[in-house]
Amino acid sequence: MASPLISGAPGQTHLLLGNEAIVRGAVEAGIQFISCYPGTPSSEVPDTFFRLSPEAAYTFEYSVNEKVALEVGGGATLAGALTLVTMKHVGVNVAADPLMTLAYTGTPGGFVLLSADDPGCHSSQNEQDNRIYARLAGLPCLEPATAQEAKDMTRAALTLSRELGTPVLLRTTTRVNHLRGPVTLSEPAVLPAPAGFQKNPSRFVPIPAFARPMHLRLLNMLEKLRGLADTSPFNLVSGTGKVGVVASGISRAYLADALLETDLTGRVKVLDLGFTYPLPEKLLASFMDGLSTLLVLEELEPVLETEIRALAQKLGLTLTILGKTPGPLPRFGEFSVGLVAAALRTALGLPVQETPGYQAEALPAPLPNRPPNLCVGCPHRATYVAVRKVYGDNAVYSSDIGCYTLGILPPLKAADFLLCMGSSISAGSGAAKAAGQDVVAFIGDSTFFHSGITGLVNALFNRHNLLVCILDNRTTAMTGHQPNPGVDKTNLGDNPVRVDIEKLVRGLGIEQLRKVNPLNHKATLKAIEELKAQTGVRVLIAEEPCPLFARRAYGQKRSQVAYVAEECGQKGECGECMDILACPAFYKENGKVAIDPLLCSGCMLCLQLCPNIKARKGDGK
Amino acid sequence: MSALQKTRLRIFMTGVGGQGTLTATTLLARAAVAAGLPVTSGEIHGMAQRGGVVESTLLIGYQSPKIGPGEADILLGFEPLETLRALSYLKPGGLVLTSTEFLAPLSVATGKDTCPDLAAIKARVNACAGSARFLPCRSLGVQAGAVQSGNIALLGALCSLGALPFGVEVLAETIRATMKPKVAEVNLRALTLGAEHPA
Repeated sequence: MASPLISGAPGQTHLLLGNEAIVRGAVEAGIQFISCYPGTPSSEVPDTFFRLSPEAAYTFEYSVNEKVALEVGGGATLAGALTLVTMKHVGVNVAADPLMTLAYTGTPGGFVLLSADDPGCHSSQNEQDNRIYARLAGLPCLEPATAQEAKDMTRAALTLSRELGTPVLLRTTTRVNHLRGPVTLSEPAVLPAPAGFQKNPSRFVPIPAFARPMHLRLLNMLEKLRGLADTSPFNLVSGTGKVGVVASGISRAYLADALLETDLTGRVKVLDLGFTYPLPEKLLASFMDGLSTLLVLEELEPVLETEIRALAQKLGLTLTILGKTPGPLPRFGEFSVGLVAAALRTALGLPVQETPGYQAEALPAPLPNRPPNLCVGCPHRATYVAVRKVYGDNAVYSSDIGCYTLGILPPLKAADFLLCMGSSISAGSGAAKAAGQDVVAFIGDSTFFHSGITGLVNALFNRHNLLVCILDNRTTAMTGHQPNPGVDKTNLGDNPVRVDIEKLVRGLGIEQLRKVNPLNHKATLKAIEELKAQTGVRVLIAEEPCPLFARRAYGQKRSQVAYVAEECGQKGECGECMDILACPAFYKENGKVAIDPLLCSGCMLCLQLCPNIKARKGDGK
Repeated sequence: MSALQKTRLRIFMTGVGGQGTLTATTLLARAAVAAGLPVTSGEIHGMAQRGGVVESTLLIGYQSPKIGPGEADILLGFEPLETLRALSYLKPGGLVLTSTEFLAPLSVATGKDTCPDLAAIKARVNACAGSARFLPCRSLGVQAGAVQSGNIALLGALCSLGALPFGVEVLAETIRATMKPKVAEVNLRALTLGAEHPA
């Protein structure tokens, strides 16, 4: 079935995920080139482009990391292609180096960077505010609040970038990426094929003599953009009153809902900011004229607030500006309707209202939690069980970013520290050298390609001493089974070019290497014990596909499942299988251990740990 | 419940990863769009997928995709422990529909922790809600032909109560329009089983 995202007719309305709306907006702008590195909450953007690529005219790639994605996309726009590059907020840190320079050289074909920020750290290691990158690099910034705006602003950002030849930042937050709403489609633009790169060294090669005028050109461009922000249809004034509110991003939705509350309706003047950088100074000057109080609504850093304070000072205005410095709003986490309503009441001098929530007496005991867990049959569990048997608590476990970070939970406890994508090997090297502790670093296949290779080369060159476990599950599991350079299969078929991790590691000159299937417990234990006895950089490659991916991509069936034999418990309770494995297929019934045959994936790791666990024929599903 | 006359509605949904909470949410949102309603729906992905809690929202007549404590007109719980956990989102006197069949968290399944029993959960739900319905969703799903369709039974019960500004036939039409015929058949059976389940 053809997707409405590619071939939907103008005027049709579809319920779209914010991330799908971004795809449609790019299609409507005439997108020609997309590169990315996946990461929540951005992943459905590239995954949708990838899924639809057979029926579309654009070029798409999953790059190996965000820096590479931005450079590939940068090259494409220099050659005249209308380009979108997508990543999560922390990915922009990785891509920051080329980004800074791309703003200097400009982007002839048009170039938009999607930065999907994560206030509240729903699935990230921090909640940095990437609007600051717009200021640092000199990028105009658009921030949608609804699915319709996600579509419209993506299109507008790409079109603006192409017209001015300067890169644009499209900044979203988790709530916007993952909301669904009705989106009315428009007619897609038809662009000529990319014109090819036009040689002009003084414009495109930032040697110092050229970089200086490039910077000046960028600063002039930003002043021109400020004028465009002043008149942008995404920046709208509504309402009247002596109290004004400037709102941006998803805060605008919270504001709109808060203003439905009876004591707040019709009490304030509102400036909805969608085109948020450069700050539309003329628009703000006229908006602030006659206000006694201004409330600035923005999640995370007081970016707009600080700029508006500076503007007010320049204009000689004496109105009261409320936001985060000092308050009443927090500088961390997400906002909500309740939080915004409370801030409005503060700005209006109205009494505080308690939310009449569920105020029942305390529960007799805290409810049992449901932490995310490694899946049934996950090969990472098998590697962790083996490493724990050999090292116990006597090694420092340097972790990385992927499903395997879930190994932090007991009983596996296989994540002691973590900095960012690819940090396990390099940070582990430093930790080992500083105080001589045994260090085991865990890194997945996709993360190894992302930025683990450089750490491994460094460890070798600087003669570090650690064991590196490359947990190769043949896909990028955590973010939704995206391909990486090492995979055999993608969701669209075979991967014709497979980079072999073992050959790569051997090619670096690492001889202390073992490759195992972690589901073979004995062989894995033996390999780890051998590597433990050695010094220097040692590598264990634990290769076994993610069972969820294997079922879909390889058609893997459950040929057998595990069950607990009658003999269990005859020599007294042990429960060791549960204490060591924490496999979600295990449960206790009437004091006896049992395995749910519907959940068991048939990995057969448990059989190798206990003689009372046996195999029987599976249902072949 | 006179929600039929209500122009604005906040529905909070909760369940366990892999249960189909998000599929049910999207289906309900599509039905709302088909009924011409201004709908926003929200969900949190990522870490929640690996057997964790999955929460989603559907709002009619609002712009925010998020529901705060004490704001939900309706709480749909696809698993009873999660219904209890999410009860603080319910507006006092709101409507609760919940499955009565547990999916035990690992700590409970392995005997390391205990979970309140159904009677305790029912008592607490009844203390907070203006009205509540309890359905054996997984069993209804199995009866319909697939355990995952149990969520749709809960939606059927919701529609039959007149708690939405559209009826069960709009949801049935959306199922027919968006699902493969075989899957649609199972879900339509589940929808009817839920709608006809005694209160």
